[in-house]
Amino acid sequence: MTDSIVEPFLKGNTGRNTRGILRLSILCLIAAAAIASRLFSVILDPWFNFRATKYLVANGFYDFWDWFDDRTWHPLGRVTGGTLYPGLMVTSGAIYHALRALTIPVDIRNICVLLAPGFSGLTAFATYLFTNEMSTSPSAGLLAAAFMGIAPGYISRSVAGSYDNEAIAIFLLVFTFYLWIKALKLGSAMWGALCALFYGYMVSAWGGYVFITNLIPLHVFVLVCMGRFSPRLYVSYCTWYSLGTLASMQIPFVGFLPIRSSEHMSALGVFGLLQLIGFVEFVRSGVPSKQFTTLLRGFVLAVFTIAFGGLVLLTVSGVIAPWTGRFYSLWDTGYAKIHIPIIASVSEHQPTAWPAFFFDLNLLIWLFPAGVYLCFLKLADEQVFVVVYAILASYFSGVMVRLMLTLTPIVCVAAALVLSHLLDTYLTMTSPDAPAEGASDATNGAAKKAIKQDGLRSMRSPLVGIYTTFSKGSVVSALTAYLLLFVLHCTWVTSNAYSSPSVVLASRMPDGSQHIIDDYREAYQWLRQNTKTDAKIMSWWDYGYQIGGMADRPTLVDNNTWNNTHIATVGKAMSSSEEVSYPIMRQHEVDYVLVVFGGLLGYSGDDINKFLWMVRIAEGIWPDEVKERDFFTERGEYRVDGGATETMKNSLMYKMSYYNYHTMFPAGQCQDRVRGVKMPDQGPVLNTLDEAFTSENWIIRIYKVKDLDNVGRNHTAAASFERGNKKKKTTKRRGPKVLRVE
Amino acid sequence: MHFLRGLLLSLLPVAALAAKNAPVDKFTKFQTKQLSSTPLKLDDAIYAQLTSAPRDYSSVILLTAMEDRFGCQLCREFQPEWDLLSKSWIKGDKMAESRLIFGTLDFINGKATFQSLGLQTAPVLLLFQPTTGPHANPEAGPSRFDFNNGAQSAEQVHRWIARQLADRPHPPVVRPINWTRGIAITTTILASITFLTVAWPYLLPILQNRNVWAAISLIAILLFTSGHMFNHIRKVPYVVSDGKGGVSYFAGGFSSQYGLETQIVAAMYGLLSFATISLALKVPRIADPKTQQIAVIVWGGIIFVMYSFLLSVFRIKNGGYPFWLPPFS
Amino acid sequence: MRWILSFLLLAFLATVQAVSSAGYKLLVVLEELADKSKYSKYLGDLEARGFSISYESPKSDKVALFTLGERAWDHVLILPPKAKGLGPLLTPKLLLDFINAGGNILVALSASQPTPSGLISLLLELDIHIPTDRSALVIDHFNYDTLSAAEKHDVVLVPRPDAIRPDVKNFFKGDGKGGEAIAFPRPVAQTLGNASPLLTPLIRAPRSAYSYSPKDDVDSVEDPFAVGQQLSLITTMQARNSARFTVVGSSELLEDTWFDAKVKRSVGMNGAPAGNEFKTSNQAFAKEVTGWTFKETGVLKVGQIEHHLNETGSEIVSNPKIYRVKNNVSYSIELSEYSWDKWIPFTPPTGDIVQLEFSMLSPFHRLPLKVAETTLTSTIYTTSFKLPDQHGIFNFKVNYKRPFYTNVEEKNTVTVRHFAHDEWPRSWVITGAWPWIAGIGATVTGWVAFVGLWLWSKPVPLKGAKGGKKNL
Repeated sequence: MTDSIVEPFLKGNTGRNTRGILRLSILCLIAAAAIASRLFSVILDPWFNFRATKYLVANGFYDFWDWFDDRTWHPLGRVTGGTLYPGLMVTSGAIYHALRALTIPVDIRNICVLLAPGFSGLTAFATYLFTNEMSTSPSAGLLAAAFMGIAPGYISRSVAGSYDNEAIAIFLLVFTFYLWIKALKLGSAMWGALCALFYGYMVSAWGGYVFITNLIPLHVFVLVCMGRFSPRLYVSYCTWYSLGTLASMQIPFVGFLPIRSSEHMSALGVFGLLQLIGFVEFVRSGVPSKQFTTLLRGFVLAVFTIAFGGLVLLTVSGVIAPWTGRFYSLWDTGYAKIHIPIIASVSEHQPTAWPAFFFDLNLLIWLFPAGVYLCFLKLADEQVFVVVYAILASYFSGVMVRLMLTLTPIVCVAAALVLSHLLDTYLTMTSPDAPAEGASDATNGAAKKAIKQDGLRSMRSPLVGIYTTFSKGSVVSALTAYLLLFVLHCTWVTSNAYSSPSVVLASRMPDGSQHIIDDYREAYQWLRQNTKTDAKIMSWWDYGYQIGGMADRPTLVDNNTWNNTHIATVGKAMSSSEEVSYPIMRQHEVDYVLVVFGGLLGYSGDDINKFLWMVRIAEGIWPDEVKERDFFTERGEYRVDGGATETMKNSLMYKMSYYNYHTMFPAGQCQDRVRGVKMPDQGPVLNTLDEAFTSENWIIRIYKVKDLDNVGRNHTAAASFERGNKKKKTTKRRGPKVLRVE
Repeated sequence: MHFLRGLLLSLLPVAALAAKNAPVDKFTKFQTKQLSSTPLKLDDAIYAQLTSAPRDYSSVILLTAMEDRFGCQLCREFQPEWDLLSKSWIKGDKMAESRLIFGTLDFINGKATFQSLGLQTAPVLLLFQPTTGPHANPEAGPSRFDFNNGAQSAEQVHRWIARQLADRPHPPVVRPINWTRGIAITTTILASITFLTVAWPYLLPILQNRNVWAAISLIAILLFTSGHMFNHIRKVPYVVSDGKGGVSYFAGGFSSQYGLETQIVAAMYGLLSFATISLALKVPRIADPKTQQIAVIVWGGIIFVMYSFLLSVFRIKNGGYPFWLPPFS
Repeated sequence: MRWILSFLLLAFLATVQAVSSAGYKLLVVLEELADKSKYSKYLGDLEARGFSISYESPKSDKVALFTLGERAWDHVLILPPKAKGLGPLLTPKLLLDFINAGGNILVALSASQPTPSGLISLLLELDIHIPTDRSALVIDHFNYDTLSAAEKHDVVLVPRPDAIRPDVKNFFKGDGKGGEAIAFPRPVAQTLGNASPLLTPLIRAPRSAYSYSPKDDVDSVEDPFAVGQQLSLITTMQARNSARFTVVGSSELLEDTWFDAKVKRSVGMNGAPAGNEFKTSNQAFAKEVTGWTFKETGVLKVGQIEHHLNETGSEIVSNPKIYRVKNNVSYSIELSEYSWDKWIPFTPPTGDIVQLEFSMLSPFHRLPLKVAETTLTSTIYTTSFKLPDQHGIFNFKVNYKRPFYTNVEEKNTVTVRHFAHDEWPRSWVITGAWPWIAGIGATVTGWVAFVGLWLWSKPVPLKGAKGGKKNL
């Protein structure tokens, strides 16, 4: 009965319209869900992008383009306009002005906070389009969009307020791929140009564009090797490469890299290869002779090898920039640990353990291979793309945690493919009737012949369908259960793991109530209110952006680590004794030094735990003055308690961390809750610094750098005089007299 | 003085004669020795003599323990580099302008020295600055090169020595060209090329076989997504024994894992996805309703059980994880 | 215009303010007021120069250097007390705080009255050492006054001091005729450490002098505290905040008796005949030393500092916050010197120059400043140069520190930015770019021509194609 009522809506034109409307509404719901699931907690971070955006909105685009920032990297300053990816700021700036034009008064801060969720909605839509290119089943796209909307792997970088390049980059990534597939299918220059356009946008938004720059050529190369060269391929790729490269070179930060650095060489090489093959094809179409074509093939090979040799030669001779360190660390972070500590010190650059994969993509991770296998069924160009993408992305995400971000879309797509295939198979109302043997055999035979030559083993026998309702019901219900579990998982992960901002720590009290630890903002507020506007703050680079943004004070180094030597200088100042550090701080006009100390609270992310990185980075520049060895005891332990080495005890970082710490405890009970060791009762002595501020939980400690002594004593003497012990009178001199010389 | 040294240096070739006339300066003696065999093999006596003040020369001495029973891996790794360095230095500095003596003191010959220096570990590289002469260095103690991050290449040690001995000639390290390696590489390349040309007709169908490629890519994906790269980079142990004799398959902690663990996980993933594939592709192609029914139940069951097991494993890694499926809770 | 205005202002200030550039409130610490009479001339001179003097005994509680945390006096003159201590209100720490707060101190020692321990430890802090034996005094058998110390040889006659370096101005050479002598009756010698760059011996003992302590006769002859030029009779210390501190070896030098005493030089070391008797120039010399200590001479003041863009066709904005690399800028600084009662134009002594540093981490330029113009009260030094090709946060820095002059350390921070995207030469200006531009043009025209030809030419029917080929 009901069927008869529903009937007309699912048939013919009206049917198509109804389905269209349904699909649209579902998409909108998915987008809404994607946005909503990112609003667990809202706090702005990172601050630099926000600061840059404010500058852009205040001073206009050209000033932003030429922005020289004299509040960071004191006293070098930073050519900010030329050393950042402006896509993010420009995007939110454009939105801001558009809304203003529509007379909707909105604060730029709100835009920055809500940009990531908004774009995640768009990402879901882009995934839908991309998946639709992959499969004929209409449900695949919707499933993929849904997965993309709530997959924790993507949420981790796009919660409300995480105003980072990835916020928009992932949407651009997926959409660029969609356009690429579209262009490849249609072989149209227009779609290729569109692809290039969005590729340019991507370049302007995220350093991860290199992934596209290498993936698309790889795809093309694989297709060529499979003998799939076609005018479509030629047109789309050439359009994309030429226009896309031009577009990418418009970004100052990228500049001429696309033709000089070797990350981009694959794209260039494939471009050349395509020209050759195109030429060969042209000639072959003219000349039917077999030998000639073989000759040509040889010629192509020769040219390709020559080109490759030339490339290598250029790289060796240094005309092409040698492979950059970050690129090496992509292949093997072990390399980075030895050669580029500054990179290895970043937690995002660590390899990924399997729980991380499962945590970020629950059941998708095992649906993923099945989906890839499905792509082998009918191995059209776009399926090849999925396969290539899948392998490459899973490798890179295995090497670097943060690249999980590039893996997530393809996982969602593949999983959606296989799931939709399952559902389509098990949700068909009509069941086949039990076949008569003979006929089935015949058909089988025919089918076998048909499919023998190529095709997968699992496809040998012809498709019949599912007989019993029970099996349909069981499978479908199980799948539904899994999907529901997946939703629960995503919600849990998002609310627990990915919605805790970096500047506010939450801890549970014994009675289970949540206790907010807000030392960072307390300290930055103190700086903002109690120091001169141009007071230089020295701290480790992790806190540079926050100090610049929240406290609005100049810093020596910050999270944009463009100058390793300057960072090493700070590292040296932190890891040397006061006598060495003081001249450095004077030279750099440092007014305050900020350290993070978790010993009282048990906050493990503090500077003492990061200290070894400072030492290593400093050692990289001054191997004779700073030695990592000296910070380990004879038995090779890294200790901070009474058994710490002299170098450790005299280092500025150690002194600043534990200065006056023992006064918190009764004698003999002073202990560090992070390292879990008992501290000596006699704290370190500071001569060249004054304690200026210590936050509620001692997480942040700020010291003021003393001026030179007014009457020309050294700081040790001056400090001891202040403490009230007088100099000894020079009694009977021993040794030769020191004569005063003018 | 300078003139005298010049004289001595000019006499080096005939140092054999010079050795006769009575108090010849220490450096000349050692220099002649190490011209014949470098680095010098030392024992306690020679060591003492070599390092006794006054010295108008500097000396680098490697204290090592080459014998197998000490099991000093590092020593054995570093020894060839050390020989290379000393040889090329001496070769490059015939006139001994850098006035540097290379010596090697093995623990066998130098127990007393090791004890006197209070050395627990080997190898240790000591550099003694001259106490007299133009480059005299007041601070008496030898400077010490630390091997804390693995065996060092000759170049690294050379850089260190060069830093210590400023404004003196530093003959560069010259590595002999490794002919055997080059030949091996070329031969292998040629061999592979010939093999390919011969076996091409047989290889082609394999290369063009879809199943092969599918298998390869699936295996690769399973490897990578089960954290194989982590093992490769972090060099994690394959399996660790828990306290009570047995082995613990799963490392506690969210960001740590064992080799075996990852393989188990990969197997689980593989099984799960294989079951899915069968459900999606094979089952609908089974002609016989009975078998199909059974197949559906079997594969569905496998998925259910495996997934539940996977969740339970994950609960080991991540304590607070609330979700689970029967039967493994 | 601006110059004139500022100089009017300066002149006005000069007339109204107290005679010393650092204020007029002077505290004289002496044990009992009866002693005032001994120094009547000296103190009279001070009062005549406009100081308002208040006399306190170290014991009294009105001697406090700080009231409510503020400096109560501008200058302090400490005359040797009889007691061994200076009391709780003049502890070394307080005195040091007084210096750090910018107050000037003049201390007079005396061999007859032992130096209080507080003072000694203060001197030690400043790296000034005096003999352990408190009664030690300087004796010279070749430059003593034959009239007053015929036996004891303990009144040392010292000529006017020379400048410690040729390029340092000498404030203490009187009218410069020479031939005059200062009498140091029973002086306490000081020796100076080498560590502190702020110490300067104002006047040293003659080469033949030595420190002699009457108590342990033999020992001090065997191993004297110090001898000859190493003995400083008057020592000055100028702190980084330009507060001044002077130790005068002999308090009797300031007494009336020696202001107008007649002296007669003994037979010199090189057998120079004993001269005839003449009047000491203690009074004039005391005036110079005190005047210097209390900032009546040798005080530098920075007037206006101005720097601006010096490009052709750019309007002059004074003291901009930001420049561009390779800009031409000019910098000018106005310096005045205070002498006794007025500000006069400052000119460095011969052989010395005022320098400008343009520095980031280390100086990129170090340029001599030239005199641009001189007003009644000040000299305006200026220079103009091209900024280095290095962006960053730079300082215009004038760091002029000389003995006996107050410190001048002026830092003006400016940002030097890189070339903006539209400040580079355009492509057609660069000759090297012409081939490429030509290439672009050729491509464009070629493309357009091709398209035109394509659209214009009518497709030829295939069989006719051969013929067409032949024609070509």
